[in-house]
Amino acid sequence: MVAIHSYWDERKLLVFVTLTIIACAVMLLEIDAARNGRQSPIDDVVSAVLTPIESILSGAANGIANEAQSLVHANGLATDNRALQLKVQQLAGANERLKAKAVENQELRRMLGMQQALALLAHPGVVADVVGYAPETPRDEITIDRGSRDGVRTDAVVVSGEGLVGHVISVGRHDARVLLITDPSSAVPAYLSRTATWGIVTGTWLHAKMKYINQDTRVLDGDPVVTGRGEVYPGGIPIGHVLEVDRKDNALYQSAVLRPNVDFSSLAHVIVLPAQ
Amino acid sequence: MSEASAGAAGREHRLRERFGDGAHGARLHPIAPVDAEIFHAPRFWVLVLLAMAAALLQATLLHGVAIRGGRLSLLTVLIVWTGLRCGVTTGGWLGLIGGIFEDALGGGGVNVLGATLAGFGAGLLSRRFFSDSIPVFAGAVAATTLLRTLANYAVIELAFGERGMFHRMSHEMLWQIVLNVFAAIVVLLVLRAASHAPRSRS
Repeated sequence: MVAIHSYWDERKLLVFVTLTIIACAVMLLEIDAARNGRQSPIDDVVSAVLTPIESILSGAANGIANEAQSLVHANGLATDNRALQLKVQQLAGANERLKAKAVENQELRRMLGMQQALALLAHPGVVADVVGYAPETPRDEITIDRGSRDGVRTDAVVVSGEGLVGHVISVGRHDARVLLITDPSSAVPAYLSRTATWGIVTGTWLHAKMKYINQDTRVLDGDPVVTGRGEVYPGGIPIGHVLEVDRKDNALYQSAVLRPNVDFSSLAHVIVLPAQ
Repeated sequence: MSEASAGAAGREHRLRERFGDGAHGARLHPIAPVDAEIFHAPRFWVLVLLAMAAALLQATLLHGVAIRGGRLSLLTVLIVWTGLRCGVTTGGWLGLIGGIFEDALGGGGVNVLGATLAGFGAGLLSRRFFSDSIPVFAGAVAATTLLRTLANYAVIELAFGERGMFHRMSHEMLWQIVLNVFAAIVVLLVLRAASHAPRSRS
């Protein structure tokens, strides 16, 4: 009996050691790749298979959301006239789909406007779809369906029609990861366009926060904040508006909570600007 | 007389010698073997496909399923169920593969070690508890979610130098435990209902 117990313990230990070594090797490979702004060979292989499925699922998710919205609206109209219920549902559904298309069209127009405003037509950015979010990590990341084969590079700035989204932190062949400005590890040089005062914008998960604002500057709610030109970011991209000012008399600097212009929960299309 | 019926008659004879015929002449019948398992684990490649599907769902459709920042992790539920059902080897390997899937979808190497240890840890419990018990499964999912998240935070702090992750994210982690436990209970109830559903014999 003792021999059997010993056998099981040894077998478990062997499994544990083997799995831990493999997991650590994979982890180190991935971390090394992430630190260098690229994806590991394992990621490249798995992403090549998963990204198309992810893209389809994201499309399905958007479709379900649109259909659900259509049904909610259709139900409200149907109560008025039972005889026309079916017709109303069909029309309302079609109407919602058209509205969704119109919103998408508007968003694409805004993105085009942003592209023109940034004078990028000579070197146009890469338009990409958001295909997913990091499934488990607490970092605020999104995955886009454009990678190195499309010209996306590490540290490239990502914008939408409303403003700054973030920057690319790792690039695979078929996809890329974008760190959002709402992540606490993000740091964007920025200035208040009304007063031309500089600061650094970092994330707070829900919002963004502009730190290191000069104490003498009078910051008002609603003040617009744009990017300042730096190593990674070009100047003048809208980030958000001041939501709340945090100023203490005995502090060296004041800070302000920002409401980002971009609604990250419904982000579908982005432009990846050429890396500087 | 076949060997099986001769064996059964022999057992009955020995039981009669020991306990007698009984006051009312009751006959003793050999007990037919009964399958005590509620649900059999699928083959490993099916589990791998399920892990891939779980990771994909988390990255897309289920990303919006969140309470106070805590997000449902179907993969954790699957890994714990597999570990409890199949033991350390299968649980550990599925955790490793599931962690690789999660990292490929975004994570930069943060998930793989925690997921592997989660599968192995759940597998250690497989011979000590009845794996179809709701309290055992729910408890294992809660403990595994906690340990997995702590492992993830440790890797993020050590590898990427982001300090204070546990302090910042402990609230979200507790909500994730609640969501995962709820999902675990639902999954087990569905499996039980499926196993009790009448099956056609061909």
